[in-house]
Amino acid sequence: MNYPHWQLPVPGGMLIALVAVLHVFVSHFAVGGGFFLVVTETIARKNNDVTLLDYCRRQSKFFALLTLVFGAISGVGIWFTIGLVSPEATSSLIHAFVWAWAIEWVFFFVEIAAAILYYRTWDSIPARDHLIIGWIYFVAAWMSLFIINGILTFMLTPGRWITTQNFWDGMFNPTFMPSLVARTAVSFILAGIFGYITLPKREGREQVSRWAAMWMLAGGLMLPVSLWWYFSRIPLFSQLYMNGVLTGVRHALRGGIGFTLLALAIALICGIWKPRWMRPPVVAVLIVCGLGMIGAGEYLREFVRKPWVINQVIYANDIRASEVDALQAKGVSHTANFLLTNDSASPAYGKNLFQLQCGSCHAEEGYRGMRKRVDGWDAAFAADILQHIHVLRGTMPPYAGDEQDRKALGRYLASLNPPWQFNITDANRLEIGEKVFSARCGHCHTVNGKYRPLRGTFEKATPSQVQEVFPALSAMSSNMPEFSAPDDQAQALAFYISHEANLPLAHPPAASEMPTGSSHSQLIRPAQPSQEVR
Amino acid sequence: MFTMTLLTTTLQPATLLTPQTLPIPHVDPLPLPGPVWLFTALLLVVFTLHVIAMNSALGGGLWTLWNYLLGRHSDHPYSRRLANELSQMLPTFLAFTVTLGVAALLFVQVLFGNFLYTSSILIGSLWLAVIPLVMVAYYGFYYFSYTAEQGKGIAGCVLAISVCVLLCIAFILVNNMTLMLSPARWLAMYRAHPNGWNLNLCDHSVIPRYLHIVNGAIAVFSAILAQFGMRKLKADAEYGRWLVQRAALVFAACTGLQFLLGMWLLLAIPRDIAMLLLRDPLAGSVFGLALISVISSMLLILLGSLSPKPAPLVNAGFAISLVTLFLMVSLRYLLRMAYLRPYLHLEALAVRPQVGVIAIFLLLFVGGLATVGYMLWLVSRGAKTRVRTTVTN
Repeated sequence: MNYPHWQLPVPGGMLIALVAVLHVFVSHFAVGGGFFLVVTETIARKNNDVTLLDYCRRQSKFFALLTLVFGAISGVGIWFTIGLVSPEATSSLIHAFVWAWAIEWVFFFVEIAAAILYYRTWDSIPARDHLIIGWIYFVAAWMSLFIINGILTFMLTPGRWITTQNFWDGMFNPTFMPSLVARTAVSFILAGIFGYITLPKREGREQVSRWAAMWMLAGGLMLPVSLWWYFSRIPLFSQLYMNGVLTGVRHALRGGIGFTLLALAIALICGIWKPRWMRPPVVAVLIVCGLGMIGAGEYLREFVRKPWVINQVIYANDIRASEVDALQAKGVSHTANFLLTNDSASPAYGKNLFQLQCGSCHAEEGYRGMRKRVDGWDAAFAADILQHIHVLRGTMPPYAGDEQDRKALGRYLASLNPPWQFNITDANRLEIGEKVFSARCGHCHTVNGKYRPLRGTFEKATPSQVQEVFPALSAMSSNMPEFSAPDDQAQALAFYISHEANLPLAHPPAASEMPTGSSHSQLIRPAQPSQEVR
Repeated sequence: MFTMTLLTTTLQPATLLTPQTLPIPHVDPLPLPGPVWLFTALLLVVFTLHVIAMNSALGGGLWTLWNYLLGRHSDHPYSRRLANELSQMLPTFLAFTVTLGVAALLFVQVLFGNFLYTSSILIGSLWLAVIPLVMVAYYGFYYFSYTAEQGKGIAGCVLAISVCVLLCIAFILVNNMTLMLSPARWLAMYRAHPNGWNLNLCDHSVIPRYLHIVNGAIAVFSAILAQFGMRKLKADAEYGRWLVQRAALVFAACTGLQFLLGMWLLLAIPRDIAMLLLRDPLAGSVFGLALISVISSMLLILLGSLSPKPAPLVNAGFAISLVTLFLMVSLRYLLRMAYLRPYLHLEALAVRPQVGVIAIFLLLFVGGLATVGYMLWLVSRGAKTRVRTTVTN
């Protein structure tokens, strides 16, 4: 609300994710790859192995071109992107950790200088001096990772910083060490993967192939232990996200494990056992695996922090937790600096609110698109849901606006789809009832499933008895919206619930069964400011 | 999908809005983690270093392109040689432009974050385009460094693209750096194009400021090149003298043009801010010193290039031109403060210095510079050893 919202056709979070994943992919290679190069060169020089030395020379050129240009510039790209999408959070991170970033910059400066000199001085300085420059590069690169790791982990586990605001409390937070080990492990895996890019065509092929595979396997051994350590130290609400209920998290977990195992299997089979099989298509698969592994890891790291961007300080939509009360009391139109219109009755105002409050994660269409999610909602229902959104869906921040704002945003959400009109007959009543259930109840309930099942309440109830309950929903629970569906839809809904609740159960509900209506539904409430966060 | 629109139409006049009613984001609730003077000093130092590197990349790129084309078409041996030599340096110049720019961006965010983030968002699409553009220029420089010597194919085109891209980046940066100083324009600009496709062309100072920066880059790199020519005098006196004279001539011409562009810039900024700048004792002194030093450096380098023993004069001129650069950077900072005076009071910001971390940073900063110095010493020692070995053989 403090800054203007940069309007994008995709959620801002997706843009950050795209830039971040590509940068992390290359920057971790910049750490592990530097270590790989200097260790390989040391061995080559010790054994007077000309073939291996020649490989190092070629690899260093590729390394410099990828890490100095794409790696370094995409890192600046993250700064640019987060400043555009989450200026409030960026500002706070800068204020809390400017000296950490300044120290990191010193290492970055040394790293860049060392990388250029290492790549350009193969033939112009003595071997010993060249190796010294290589080691300086690695130490600087790893220290750069060391510091950035502190800032990144702080965002999920600020630890005692919340009360002390002490730099060291924030920097060496509870997940600092496990994350550092995990990132170092990943950098080893990527060093091995990228080591295949300049694999010798004939002489030395087997030797380099096995050597690179060893790096991948070393990283692969470190990774599970460090990740287990990391996940054991994240906050409780983040741990709950990992329980497999959330579709996105489930896919990311499976994908990340799958990509990593596939890469390690290729390292064993094509890297160590049959190096002649390590052909360009296999290397391409390895690179895809590496990118998939990083993408899954970054997705999980970002997702388990929801609804926060800085845990307990700033929400994912760049609104400070401390400002929510004022926004709810005064309203957005009296608080925000940059609104496209101040006319709260206009449709443009509702759309603007959507962009401000939801735009970091949602757009109208596409990934996390809202149109399909709110199909069947009327304005009153949408406005009511917003009031409880952070309770109904723990990954969402609380709605930050007054009643007028909620109504305006509710009208906007309802306007994304034409209102439902049905010609309900006996033949389609059940089907329509299911549809209404999906739209109005399925985000939080099932009838016979595991999550907030309604069977217990409505078993043996007739449709008319079910329907009698609807007007009293909001009185039954303060988190339930007012029931506002038209009569015909209410009848169909009551018919559906009654029908389903009275079906004989053939088997107990599966543990992973989701509430209908949204494949992304989850019902876990994250820690709020008053709760302990490790 | 997007239509690029340059906001040249009339926007909400500043007179209708007072500093109290302007939509300026509030400063971060966290206190500054260090004293303002320290951030200012660091900003001025790293930004001066960034400008030197940037001038080398942009001015060097233009010099290389000119000499590459000259050498190719007129078969001028020295032009071709110079283009080849510079081609090997351009990627490094750009690497340090970015590296030093990162530090400047860090410190400017601490002091002026609420202004910079806002203006960046207003030109967001162009601002983010800087990232892929730098990559294009960077890879172009590398490509040219591998292919310049053969002088065939598309090397010249690639270099020309890289240089054009750098010119575009400079233009985007100038737009952002001027827009952050004009909160009165923000809301109207945002409402016109919230997708970030804006430029700050309604600010009359943008064009002269941009030309001042580009011309300055050529001038500063010419001074650097005069130094480079001095180093060549021993090994190849004719080439070295040719280089020193040509660099001195371009330096003098660009410096002369810089006076005109500077006057245009001074006339283009709002009169009250210009007067504030000139009447302020500190700003006036810096401005006066900068004028004296720029004239001195121009005369010294020009006279040195014509002298049979150019070293003392050219060296002195080069050193003074670096001092000029620092003075100009300081003046730019004072101008920024004059623009933001109604909206920003740095002295009123809450400060809670992180003393221990600051000490560690300063130690590491010195250590980092020493490490880079040590690596350069290793390289130069290796080069000397190699030269001795070659001579002995």
